[in-house]
Amino acid sequence: MRSTFLGLVAAATLLAGCAGVGGGTSSDSGGSGAGSTGTPTGTLKIMGFGGEDEVGQARIKAFKDAYGNVTVSNPKGDFDAQQFLTALASGNPPDLVYMDRNLIGTYAKKGAIVPLESCINDQKIDTSQYRDAAMRSVTLQDKVYGIPEFYVVTTNLVDAKSLQAAGIPTSDIQTKDWGALKATSAKLFKKNGNKIERIGYDPKLPEYFPLWATANGATIVKDDGSPNLNDPKAVEALSYTIGLIDDQGGWTSFKSFRDAFDIFGEKNPLSAGTVVAFPMENWYVNVLRDFLGGGLKLDSTAFTDHEGKPVSMVGGSAWAIPKGSKNPAAACAWAKTMTDKATWLKAADARIAKVKEDKSFFTGLFTANKAADEEIRAKYLTDVPDAGFKRAIDNFYATLDSAVALNPSPAGAEIDAAWRSAVTRALGGQPAQQALDQAQKEAEAAFSKANGNG
Amino acid sequence: MSIEMKPGPPATETTGQPQSPLATSAPPPARRRRRRLSPLSLLRWMLLLVATLAFTYPLLWLVSASLKPKSQVFDNKLVPETVQWSNFIEVWDAGPVLRWLFNSGVVSLMAALAVTFSSAFVAFGFAYFRFRLRGPLFGLLLATMMLPGAVTMIPVYLIWHQLGLIDTQVPLWANNLFGSAFYIFLMRQFFLGIPRELFEAARIDGCSHLGLFRRIALPLCRPALIIVFIFELQASWSDLLKPLVYLQTEEYFTMPRGLKQIVDGFALSGEYHWEIAMAATLVATLPMIVVFAFAQRYFLEGLATTARQG
Amino acid sequence: MAERTGPGRLQRRESRAAYLFIAPWIVGFLVFTAGPMVASLWLSFTDYSLVEPAHAVGTANYQQLLDDPRVGRSLANTFVYAALFVPLGTVVALGLAMLLHGVGRASGFFRTVFYLPVMTPAVAAGAMFLLLLNGQRGLLNQVLGWFGVTGPNWTTDPAWLKPSLAIVSLWTVGGSIIIYLAALNNVPRQLYEAALLDGAGPVRRFVSVTLPMISGALFFTVITHTIAAMQMFDQAYTMFYGPQQKATASDESLVYMVYLFQNAFEFFKMGFASAMAWVLFVIILVITVVQVRLGNRFVYYEGGSTR
Repeated sequence: MRSTFLGLVAAATLLAGCAGVGGGTSSDSGGSGAGSTGTPTGTLKIMGFGGEDEVGQARIKAFKDAYGNVTVSNPKGDFDAQQFLTALASGNPPDLVYMDRNLIGTYAKKGAIVPLESCINDQKIDTSQYRDAAMRSVTLQDKVYGIPEFYVVTTNLVDAKSLQAAGIPTSDIQTKDWGALKATSAKLFKKNGNKIERIGYDPKLPEYFPLWATANGATIVKDDGSPNLNDPKAVEALSYTIGLIDDQGGWTSFKSFRDAFDIFGEKNPLSAGTVVAFPMENWYVNVLRDFLGGGLKLDSTAFTDHEGKPVSMVGGSAWAIPKGSKNPAAACAWAKTMTDKATWLKAADARIAKVKEDKSFFTGLFTANKAADEEIRAKYLTDVPDAGFKRAIDNFYATLDSAVALNPSPAGAEIDAAWRSAVTRALGGQPAQQALDQAQKEAEAAFSKANGNG
Repeated sequence: MSIEMKPGPPATETTGQPQSPLATSAPPPARRRRRRLSPLSLLRWMLLLVATLAFTYPLLWLVSASLKPKSQVFDNKLVPETVQWSNFIEVWDAGPVLRWLFNSGVVSLMAALAVTFSSAFVAFGFAYFRFRLRGPLFGLLLATMMLPGAVTMIPVYLIWHQLGLIDTQVPLWANNLFGSAFYIFLMRQFFLGIPRELFEAARIDGCSHLGLFRRIALPLCRPALIIVFIFELQASWSDLLKPLVYLQTEEYFTMPRGLKQIVDGFALSGEYHWEIAMAATLVATLPMIVVFAFAQRYFLEGLATTARQG
Repeated sequence: MAERTGPGRLQRRESRAAYLFIAPWIVGFLVFTAGPMVASLWLSFTDYSLVEPAHAVGTANYQQLLDDPRVGRSLANTFVYAALFVPLGTVVALGLAMLLHGVGRASGFFRTVFYLPVMTPAVAAGAMFLLLLNGQRGLLNQVLGWFGVTGPNWTTDPAWLKPSLAIVSLWTVGGSIIIYLAALNNVPRQLYEAALLDGAGPVRRFVSVTLPMISGALFFTVITHTIAAMQMFDQAYTMFYGPQQKATASDESLVYMVYLFQNAFEFFKMGFASAMAWVLFVIILVITVVQVRLGNRFVYYEGGSTR
């Protein structure tokens, strides 16, 4: 049923004589995928992108101005696996899909998205403009499957007020000497009987397990995508961070306390004094900005490895072309336009305009495009009214060059699931070594299965 | 227990016959007794009050959150410190909300009407008649409720695709033309509660099978029909999965799909405007609440009607 | 009551009429249900990944079902949840319906109140309950604290995850309350009067009059609640497995349908997920057959016969 249908689609497309719609509609998987010559026209159906904010809107406008012949259809809404896969399975995929970079490996391996070789060549996309870690996330077995945008990094955010009240210098919030951090955290922890009142240092488990493992020198996913979850340094990192949590009330109470945080509100943890310090992503500074006047005293220290070098995991999104896309030319042009320097500058302009309107200040824009980042920073990051905020933003920028992402893997989703449940099990009491050994077993099984399928 | 049932003449609206004692619904005993605030009664009201609080608290929280400014949404206070009505204006501007509400209304209405009548029709077949395959077929019906929908979703999608009806609203309600196992089951239970004599008497009078259905079964089970209608109206109104996979054009979206767009755009990857997300959720939910508040009266009236029959 | 088993022709006419009535369902079944069900059965013997064409792999998926510890785990979790929720839900719904039954005009208000949760979108409900059930600051534990009880960490303590899910599900029993109300209102007054005359107390009246007369509705709700409980997805997904919370989910809250969903749409193992679905189907089938057999012995229908 499917191949007949797809065959019909291919025939119809050829008959319609659309320029530039090439191999993307035939039913072979892999291959050079998106051929894209000539000026893009026709309809471009996008899935998984909203672009509601001024940064998104400015970039969308840039595309529409440059490519007036393309009708853009962008039903807004975050990426939803069910929606995407159903469309794909029925031979009715969108032309372009927007998803988290850490999903690219899995979808690429399964052939849901196609390599972008011809897209990059035809549209002359200069992939060296994107940061290495971002490119690494979208590259599987030397083929590029996504055009990256956004670069989400982490550093330590600190509640200076509570620190001062406890008489502890900000420099004590450091990740170079883990023993010292443990002591500092325990000092800052407060509880009343059974109820936690304040967390000292929140290591942000399980999400940030890769961060701690990497800071300790472990590579939990090797370059070829194979898992290395029970590397002794990873086990050590896990035991250490669990120790931090055990010192602060134990996991179930710790997590419940953390779950009740009003992250986006007036009583956010740093304002309300319920957490003294934690590693956090750069977008959070935008949230905290609103509360600068209201008793928040933010500070920041770098999250470093044992040598003092800043380390961070990287998150972000990417544009990918699904298998069966009917307009890979326009899709490719879109991806190129959305992520090139000129467009990012326009987006930054829009952000500055909004920031002025809100009587607030610019907190940086992390685009995954090296030149854009530098130029935007130089041009716009000029007057941050608060020293603590400035330190935080500077720390985020300082991690950009050294940030790493987990290597993409054909079994990416399973490896992810394996270490997450290992960490959860370890938090529930299982010894870290045992938990990670089991995770490694599960991940290895998934990896050999994924690799065995060619 | 052995209490004799006294057969009586059929009680239907059309014949206006004196009512059979069997068709009586028991009016609430409280109406017959004098209103005494007995300890038992007090206990009843207290329990109802507690239950009411428990059941409505989350919705009250939702209303409260939808009126708060961004920084107070999760502050654990039921009464907002600052009331911000503009959240709803933001929701209004966030998309063609009126169109979405209209779409939801149309789709739900069609779905509910279709399923109520088709299910009642089929249920009558299963309840009244004796035929050899009745047991196995009814078992098959029950069985269809047991296979998780997620797995048949893809093949069903492919069927609609072949019919060329993707990106239309048809897949959202057309299935209901053929009845739905849950409602067929429910209506069957109610039909089985009708004394057989009523049907037999009508048959003797020359009533056709369709007449039995229209004139006896349906009127006597009107409360059940209304229940089915309202349940399906509500289920169809709030369904997200079908519009998510079948609809691509924003103009055709139903409210839940539109809500996802708003929540994703404003809260999750946007500027964390949870207050707008909550306000949008309220806008998506309120119409059904209003409809239900009005419609549930008809359950009572349906019962009162049968009581009035003589 | 005499059965109408007349001469063969009459019986055939009855049968024909019967099939005419159930025809709509049969048509819908063949097109929209039977086909997809067969397709999904076939898929369960393949390695379908949604992206590439399916290849037959024999019983590999079923073998993997036995090997994968998560399958058994999630099935056990689902059983525990169902065992918690179905009796509790039935009792609570019936209790509330009986409380409402004695109320006069105000019952309309309460009917709306109890049905409100059913109308609240699952996503919103999930978010709210995570706050309400929070072990440290949630309302439930605060209230328990007034009675001197220290509530557990409902949403994070592995031992209390399934009870938490049951509580969230209890909140949505409004539909059953309405069904029970309708059934209670259908109980003829005369029966209660006769029972009173016979000197029956409230408990006896309940057991001998109410229960049998609403047993049809009870039968229906117990069966449908069980089927729904075995397929529970929304609550668990929005509370513990949504994109925001997935990271910290414990295996104790992994219910079967969530694991099935993950396999289908996150791990690209649609073939395996189909196998999971069919196993669940068979399990539910067996449970329901047992329930129906038991039910047929205890359910009383005014219409006379059940089969």
